Amino acid sequence: MDDFISLEHMVKVYPPRVLAVDNVSVGFQKGEIHSIVGENGAGKSTLMKLLYGLVPFDSGVVKINGAAVHFRKPGDAIAMGIGMVHQEIELISQYTVWENVVLGAEPVRGGIGGTLDSARAIELVRRKIDEFQFNLDPSAQVERISVAALQKVEILKLLYRNVSVLILDEPTSVLTPQEIPQLFAELKRLRDKGTTILFISHRLDEVLELSDRITVMRRGKKIATVAASETDKEALAEMMIGRQVIFTSKRTPHPRGDRVFEAKGLSVTRHDGLKLLDNVSFSVHAGEIVGIAGVEGNGQFELVNSVMGLAAPTSGSITVNGGEITKLSILERRKLISFVPQDRGKMGASLPASILDNAIMTHHRLEPRFSAWRGLVLNYRNARAFTDTLAKRFSVQMASRQSPFRSLSGGNQQKLILGREFLLSTPFFLMDQPTRGLDVGSIEYVHGEILSMREANRAVLLISADLEELFLIADRILVMHRGRIVADLVAEQTNIEEVGRYMLEGKITA
Amino acid sequence: MTRRILSGVLGVVIALVVGAIIMLIEGYEPLATYGALAQFSLGGIGPLTTTLKNSVPLVLTGLSAAIAFASGPVNLGQPGQLVFGALAATLGGLYISLPPVLEIPLLLLLAIAGGALWSGLAGLMKQAFGMSEFIVTLMLNMIADFFTAWVIAYPLMDRKAFSPMTPPIARSGWMPDIGPLNSSVLLMLAAVVVMWFVFQRWRAGYEWRITGQNSLFARLGGCDVRGNFMAVMLVTGALAGLAGGLVVMGGPHRFLKGLGANYAWDGIMIAIMANNGLVETLIYGVFVAAIQTGALGMELITNVPSEIAQVLQAVLVLVIVATREYAAVVFDRLAARRQARERAA
Repeated sequence: MDDFISLEHMVKVYPPRVLAVDNVSVGFQKGEIHSIVGENGAGKSTLMKLLYGLVPFDSGVVKINGAAVHFRKPGDAIAMGIGMVHQEIELISQYTVWENVVLGAEPVRGGIGGTLDSARAIELVRRKIDEFQFNLDPSAQVERISVAALQKVEILKLLYRNVSVLILDEPTSVLTPQEIPQLFAELKRLRDKGTTILFISHRLDEVLELSDRITVMRRGKKIATVAASETDKEALAEMMIGRQVIFTSKRTPHPRGDRVFEAKGLSVTRHDGLKLLDNVSFSVHAGEIVGIAGVEGNGQFELVNSVMGLAAPTSGSITVNGGEITKLSILERRKLISFVPQDRGKMGASLPASILDNAIMTHHRLEPRFSAWRGLVLNYRNARAFTDTLAKRFSVQMASRQSPFRSLSGGNQQKLILGREFLLSTPFFLMDQPTRGLDVGSIEYVHGEILSMREANRAVLLISADLEELFLIADRILVMHRGRIVADLVAEQTNIEEVGRYMLEGKITA
Repeated sequence: MTRRILSGVLGVVIALVVGAIIMLIEGYEPLATYGALAQFSLGGIGPLTTTLKNSVPLVLTGLSAAIAFASGPVNLGQPGQLVFGALAATLGGLYISLPPVLEIPLLLLLAIAGGALWSGLAGLMKQAFGMSEFIVTLMLNMIADFFTAWVIAYPLMDRKAFSPMTPPIARSGWMPDIGPLNSSVLLMLAAVVVMWFVFQRWRAGYEWRITGQNSLFARLGGCDVRGNFMAVMLVTGALAGLAGGLVVMGGPHRFLKGLGANYAWDGIMIAIMANNGLVETLIYGVFVAAIQTGALGMELITNVPSEIAQVLQAVLVLVIVATREYAAVVFDRLAARRQARERAA
């Protein structure tokens, strides 16, 4: 069978020298679900953006039904029946479902300069919803519907434009475990009606369940295209990473020590009275990793801000080693708390500053060896030696100490931040999504380091949206839901499904 | 580094070409004009030392702006801080008379304090009321401008003069000439060296730089962001104040009307040309001073009006900034294209 869409010898280099797509050729057939898998940065999104006309490519040919096409903008692709749903949802939250769907292609009464024919628009949208059995209310306001529904609206937007090829960029990353099967059922229904679906993901279980064929990418190159029925998770993982990976926890029993961190009755109330953090109490002991699970936006942000001192809690107390910290300055807190933030470029580093300047942050205040003349002048000789030690100990690949931090790859950036925080002699470690956006190799490395902190008897609080991660390394899992801690579970005595239910519903209903 | 020098030189060349085109359109001879500009600014000891002396207020206010912008605070108050520094030095020079070894440092300190007072006021308004230093420093410029105009027209006016100005300051407060070179130039160079050291080697300078790049990161890292803000405001105000003091002590030796001229605004432009680099500020500051100095001489021997210097200066700022930004994009794209060609082959 001839390919419906074929990409031939595609090359894309992001200036100055990031080779994102390296001579990739791949074909997609009509009416198949074809997954593109690979680690973060493997080039799967970029490859699809080249097809979609969102990113110009340096060389290569795109053919549809054997004829070469060249999309200069996404509008060209949509006109040819190819649509893409991006990772971030891009809807107007004040608009209703139907308004979002028809926006840009509205049915109009009276030709150019005419008025919006809302009745017909609603009818058209409703017809599409019924056709694909989407279970959406066209008049619902977008800001009031669930994330899963938002994604359906994004897909509907494209179906409304009569797209026959749908590109979905990691659509499951924003969904809870319970919402995924429904999305998959809908996608399969779309395929059975003849739509071609190109599905970008790095979650192998999902890909195997959903797809007909799978293309594996690694470092910009295509490794292989295989039929889903003829492969398995281990084989895919090996192709993705280039070596074998073990999907089991390396966590060994470790006795927990004294209580190090304790939050008591912590609340953050917004000016309109909404409790963003609602009477949260928990503790973390030395040599223990406590995970906080929860859909983002359920109070994690407020918890981090309260602990780090970016915002004062409305009420409650936080103690580290028995001492109250809520009145302390950030510098005083940093003597007790190491912190790995979720957004490296915003909170964890200065991108234009040198690697050295980033490495010595906080150390420059807490350790006398980094300054001279009573703290007036920095001791750059010690700072250089420290940076080298840090890079070596945490295997940071860098061109030179003076290179800008942004020249490091994501994994190396995170290793440097992790190392910097690790080397602060603090009893308590707060990690907010420390593996977000990292490739599998780096994630393994970070997990190993977190476990070694536990071995070193430090108390670790790990906030993560990735349940698999929590089950790999956490001793206890707390679930946050609407600002409250709704469950406190021992990792060995629970499972992903149970935690997922708590995340979604806040309680277990029989 | 080489790339930075390359794009800087390229920017200057393009700007001179654009300036030449403007002159051609106006019917002047570009080569002769540039020749005259160079001759009266760099051709010989006399023009050269004049250029250097004229660069003092430009470089110092440029330094002030560069440090402020690179550290976060948008201090646009250099014009006001400069005239306040000048006024403080003038007051000292009018009422205190000591031997030069004491008088000169005293007047310099007064100038520094005057500038720091005016920027510190803006800093306090930010800390106490959360008012943006951007607008406060701009407004304080107006107040400083009219306040000093009143001071020299009323309480301190020299009755013998025909236009508003103060009487001359004590002779012991004049910046001496060392041979053909005015000693204010040495002070300017010293200020650049000291500020470079503070900015690149002090712990405070480290925190200023990081705060300017990412203040949330600096704050979470334990830097004293509030204290640093105030320190940067005071230091940059002090630099602008010093510029004002040196203008009085090195030049007319009194505060006369329009003394601040456009020095500080030119300094801010120089900082922008220099991309807030301290050494670059020195280089561009001397360069702009050369154009301004040369223009006055050029007017004597050609029929080109000296205003062309202002046109040239504006062209320079725009072209240098555009060249720098665009060169980075072009260099990156070229590198990408080269690699893409390799992979496709």
